[in-house]
Amino acid sequence: MFSTKKSLRLVFLLLLLMGVTSCVKDVDLSKAEEISLQPDMQVDLLIFEVTEQDFIDFGTNQARTVIRDTVRLEFLDDDYIQNDLEEVELSFKYINSFPQQFKSSISFLSESDRKQYQVDFDVDPGNKNNPVPTEWIEYIDNSNIGAIKRSIKMVVELEVLPNAQEFSGTLNFQSKGLFSFQF
Amino acid sequence: MRELFILAFFFIIISCQGQNKQLLYNVSWLPQTLMSNPGANITFDRHFGVPFLSQVHVSAGSTTANLHDIFEDSDADINERVTATIRRLTNKDHFMVNEQLEIVSLGWRLNKEHYLSMGVYQEMDMFAYFPKDPAVLVNEGNNDYINLPFDFSDLAFTGEILTVYHLGLNKKINPWLTVGARGKLYSGIFNVESTNNSGVFITRDTPEGPNYYRHFAENIDIRVNTSGYASLKGDGQSVQESTKDLLKRSFFGGNFGAGIDLGATYAYRENLIFTASVQDIGIMLQRSDVENYTYRGSYQTDGIEPLFPDVDENGKTIPYWDIFEDEVDKNLKDKTLNESYVTWRPRKINASVEYGYGKIFSPCDYRRPDNRRHKSRVGLQMFGIHRPKTFNMAMSVYYDSKVTKTLRLKVAYTVDDYSFTNLGFLISKNFKNFNAYLAADNIFGYLNLAKSQSASIQLGMQFIVTK
Repeated sequence: MFSTKKSLRLVFLLLLLMGVTSCVKDVDLSKAEEISLQPDMQVDLLIFEVTEQDFIDFGTNQARTVIRDTVRLEFLDDDYIQNDLEEVELSFKYINSFPQQFKSSISFLSESDRKQYQVDFDVDPGNKNNPVPTEWIEYIDNSNIGAIKRSIKMVVELEVLPNAQEFSGTLNFQSKGLFSFQF
Repeated sequence: MRELFILAFFFIIISCQGQNKQLLYNVSWLPQTLMSNPGANITFDRHFGVPFLSQVHVSAGSTTANLHDIFEDSDADINERVTATIRRLTNKDHFMVNEQLEIVSLGWRLNKEHYLSMGVYQEMDMFAYFPKDPAVLVNEGNNDYINLPFDFSDLAFTGEILTVYHLGLNKKINPWLTVGARGKLYSGIFNVESTNNSGVFITRDTPEGPNYYRHFAENIDIRVNTSGYASLKGDGQSVQESTKDLLKRSFFGGNFGAGIDLGATYAYRENLIFTASVQDIGIMLQRSDVENYTYRGSYQTDGIEPLFPDVDENGKTIPYWDIFEDEVDKNLKDKTLNESYVTWRPRKINASVEYGYGKIFSPCDYRRPDNRRHKSRVGLQMFGIHRPKTFNMAMSVYYDSKVTKTLRLKVAYTVDDYSFTNLGFLISKNFKNFNAYLAADNIFGYLNLAKSQSASIQLGMQFIVTK
């Protein structure tokens, strides 16, 4: 049988064993500072479909070769964009059934309408029976991301390059952004 | 009667298995055993706990992840480790933190058959399932998960801090059967719960659609209920005022509820004993300082559609973004409410079978109702606890021995959601009428807590009188 003294010693030894052997090892908790969330978000941006009617000026009822529209992208001003956006891959796609070529100019403007970033490319002509897709991918890396962060508006400008064929058809526009963050 | 009891016992065993304070269950010489089974066989006649020190219990567990998984001291990129861990976890994995502090504990034998016990303890219980889909969305985004839904039903958690006032009666029906019940009054200090969420977010590839993708928020229904939170969230209340408020809530100044524990011990033979108990069949009415946050609705979008030209017939710029935001707000409604709600305490079930062997000791005093006890006992114990989406269970085998007249040891091996290598021990020492005990679970985990997925410790000191 154990004596009280031996019992106490056993309790003490067990507590000591737990105290001495319990530890946190093989870990580096300072790495906590390196932890970041890095989501890549695919986000639809603008869509539209224009026909020859959209190239008629409402005021004068005259045909025009250039049309444009501006959309405010208020989320570009949010903290998660301003502080944590690392890079963006913008994708634009036109599907053209007009037999004419278009010049597409997509601009990102600041609040004071100063141009921060611009993407220009030509849209191939198609025909009603065989609409032609034109796709453009614009990669904006971290060194240029400030241009997007300073922007708040996206302007799409289309200029038709007239030719001998009848100006009739539809032009569909699709766009998305792959936003890469590091929180 | 005996057959009925055995049948009922095995029904409980089949329907639940589990883990918990297994080291304090069926410990007939410690008053704390009455807290997990009010119908336990007890060997003492009076007890009085040292205030605030008769039981300090802390436990924490994680079913799959541990500190080492993330912070291993190596050259590997820690963010890759975070991503790998998130991918490995499932929405059934869970995290738990539980703390109990006995403030007052006392009891005495009324007569040969009855033992009355009462007390007050404070408890904090936090439980969360791993929100798998929302975590993947936040950590990785939707780029690699096109056409795959992010399910918001993965979001489920509960948390509460409360004070419990209890009064229990242990009654020996006959030499074979002891039953007991404990009534509880709950005084809520803080509660948060979000358990019945639903809805998915999905980005679908739409090759025939108007844009590359279409984003869907389908049947979103998220609700977070809180009580005792709104008044503390920084409306100019000082620390002293907040402390005073919290103390007031401990004495039924906030929300309240009631519950009951039931238990029984049946000696099939002198050396073969069955026990079973249910704890915290209780309800809380959350009516004071309540705030609920809800987010509900469905919406889908392909993007913003400019109309060309960018001015309307009045020559004004069309506010596409404002129109889009209004549309979102109209369909996905974000509200803060003040609606009372009801919460159930996490119900627990215990059951055990115990076999005694070795030298028999029994009291000389004829007034003592206790059965004769063997020096050593081995047992099998099951525990189950009801959580929002699952019934979490554990199973323990234990060896319990009276080493000396004043020293007892119990060793238990437990299999549960947190560990397959959980070896725990209880040591209890009497110094005349003064008792001190220490119980620690998962002792191998203490060798490197970084690799341990659970830890639990109970310790306390009290006066126990055995005539």
